Amino acid sequence: MSDKLIEIETPFQFSAENQREFDQLIQRYPVKEAAMLPTLHLAQRQAGYISPAVMEYVAELLELPVMKVKDVVTFYPMFFEEPVGKYVIRVCYTLPCALRDCKLVLEHIKQKFNIDVASETDLAKGTTPDGKFTLLKSECLASCDVAPVVMVNDDLHKNLTPQKMDEILDSLE
Amino acid sequence: MVQERRILYEHLDVPDINTFDVFRQYDGYKHFEMTIKEYKPEEICDMVMQSGLKGRGGAGFSTGLKWSFVPRDIEPRYLCCNADESEPGTFSNRYVLEKNPHLLIEGILICCYAMGINTAYIYIRGEFTLGKRMLDAALNEAYQHGYLGKNILGSGFDLDVYSHPGAGAYICGEETGLIESLEGKRGQPRVKPPFPAVEGLFHKPTVVQNVETLCNLPFLMGRGVEWYTSIGRTYGDTRFNPPQSDPNTGTKLYCISGDVNKPGVYELDLGLTAEELIEVAGGVKGERVKAVIPGGSSAPILTHYELECRLDFTSLTLWKSMLGSGGIIVMNETRNIVDCLLNIMKFYAHESCGQCTPCRWGTPWVRDIVQRIVDGEGRQTTIQRPKFGITASGRWGDTGEMEEVYEDLDLLESVANNIANVDTMTWNTICVFGIAVSWPAVSYLRKFRPEFEAAIRDGELVTLPIEEATVPPEENYAYQQRIVPGLFEP
Ligand SMILES: Cc1cc2nc3c(=O)[nH]c(=O)nc-3n(C[C@H](O)[C@H](O)[C@H](O)COP(=O)(O)O)c2cc1C
Ligand code: SF4
Ligand code: FES
Repeated sequence: MSDKLIEIETPFQFSAENQREFDQLIQRYPVKEAAMLPTLHLAQRQAGYISPAVMEYVAELLELPVMKVKDVVTFYPMFFEEPVGKYVIRVCYTLPCALRDCKLVLEHIKQKFNIDVASETDLAKGTTPDGKFTLLKSECLASCDVAPVVMVNDDLHKNLTPQKMDEILDSLE
Repeated sequence: MVQERRILYEHLDVPDINTFDVFRQYDGYKHFEMTIKEYKPEEICDMVMQSGLKGRGGAGFSTGLKWSFVPRDIEPRYLCCNADESEPGTFSNRYVLEKNPHLLIEGILICCYAMGINTAYIYIRGEFTLGKRMLDAALNEAYQHGYLGKNILGSGFDLDVYSHPGAGAYICGEETGLIESLEGKRGQPRVKPPFPAVEGLFHKPTVVQNVETLCNLPFLMGRGVEWYTSIGRTYGDTRFNPPQSDPNTGTKLYCISGDVNKPGVYELDLGLTAEELIEVAGGVKGERVKAVIPGGSSAPILTHYELECRLDFTSLTLWKSMLGSGGIIVMNETRNIVDCLLNIMKFYAHESCGQCTPCRWGTPWVRDIVQRIVDGEGRQTTIQRPKFGITASGRWGDTGEMEEVYEDLDLLESVANNIANVDTMTWNTICVFGIAVSWPAVSYLRKFRPEFEAAIRDGELVTLPIEEATVPPEENYAYQQRIVPGLFEP
């Protein structure tokens, strides 16, 4: 038996900089709840994913029941409830990209890292054991003219081939 | 060849046009300055109405008419700029946000001044990180130079504009889904009525407008209604006597992708044909065009027999399709339509918000049937059903004969039609996402039925030559019932 019966998570708190940003954006709305999405984005950027502790913190900030925050987090694909890799790779898989062989790029990444595509309910299967990369399929990224496209964290990469993808991934620390 | 007419995109590629100073050098904000000096808000609304400007986000609804529904005695009122751009095949808003965000701000200024709105939110797609960065920088500059904030240019008009990030849900592009999402909830569309114009964001009157629609406003105000209506085509709607004018005025940012040599955004007068557009985009990549999706993945598909259709709001509607968001996806002879449908149905099955049973269950069901067919496991049993086609009276309808169809194809059509009925244009769901699912499903099936049948019969995907894959025009429900609109003569 382990020493602790319940693993208590370390509480979450905004960094000073994020706190300033939050103070600004909360003023934009007549009701606090409306700041939900930007606040969650801010928190995820700091914490990497939305843990129960983050949800509690956000709920407190916005004066809402935690359940309301959880409700929102589960609805939107961009919020993660489990840890993800340092680099999140989103391969666009919708029709225009499919017509331009996005499949080759996806298969290549799968083989390269020996991982599967992560699903919203199982992020671990698409994450490399060293926690560096998470592979996701994405819906149309509104760049079909330069298909196939892949987003790595905030950066969009265009007109990809497996070789180009290699270069990009290999250049990441 | 049809020439591009760059208005919204005229300065898109000017270096640093995203900065205030360069934007000013190219007459940026001049149209707004002129408007606020010379026109009263009501005059602007009148001009927008007369211009015939139709919303570019998907529904093609008259912007002037939408504005006229907004009650002027309820304060505050809001503008939500729809920059969620997630309809597959559409990518014109992204370029505005990334390269020329001040143009959007100018459009927002004019809209808000006309509508007496003091707060606007730009709901920007979560994945548009660069776009949001550029937009936020532009907003900051606009505040610094007194084009946003209190008492703008000493006119007494106040306006705050904020950007608000989405988080990856397609349904937040639907106007009431967007509003729910902006309020900090799940982006589940609301039952309409009440329409957002009457009760929207924070339960106040709200105008929801696409980026491209708003970007039209500076030019419309600056160059006048007469100039604006001279671009595009105006049809006569003969359901009225005398015929009413049905404007498809202005340019459209056509986004073309798939099997063409030069995919991209082309700004062209509304109303060129699909054939002409493909030519502008460098022609088809491959031998021939097999099919064209004319308005984002939600739009019913066009066969190679239907390429003479004009790509404007009226024509496409009368051809039982739609211009939607203006995302045109071209497929050549090597493409298998069943496979393309599977890709699209996976998208919709993932994106249903889950509120309505027909959509929550029906959409994955449709996907599963198509998946089964693609996997070569389509049910080979057949059933008898009434055959539709050209009747003795020369019209489309029940021919009185029976036809034999594969059970799975009948099931596919029936499930799709129960989400939203393609023939009667009625839907059993809260929002028109239902139509966005059943329209492609039913149109692909009816127009390329031989390819579906071959996949079931042979137990594997078979890509047929174009002529064999396509239902001939005399059996094509949409082609047979199409109406070619006539130009308006007052
Ligand atoms: C499922 C669905 C998705 C939509 N997605 C978008 C979108 O991404 N961007 C957009 O501008 N409009 C979208 N719309 C249309 C909006 O509901 C709304 O009609 C539009 O934003 C109104 O602006 P407009 O009149 O300027 O076009 C979507 C509609 C539906 C039903
Ligand atoms: S039709 Fe679908 S997407 Fe629209 S409200 Fe219903 S369940 Fe949600
Ligand atoms: S389909 Fe990949 S960007 Fe549109």
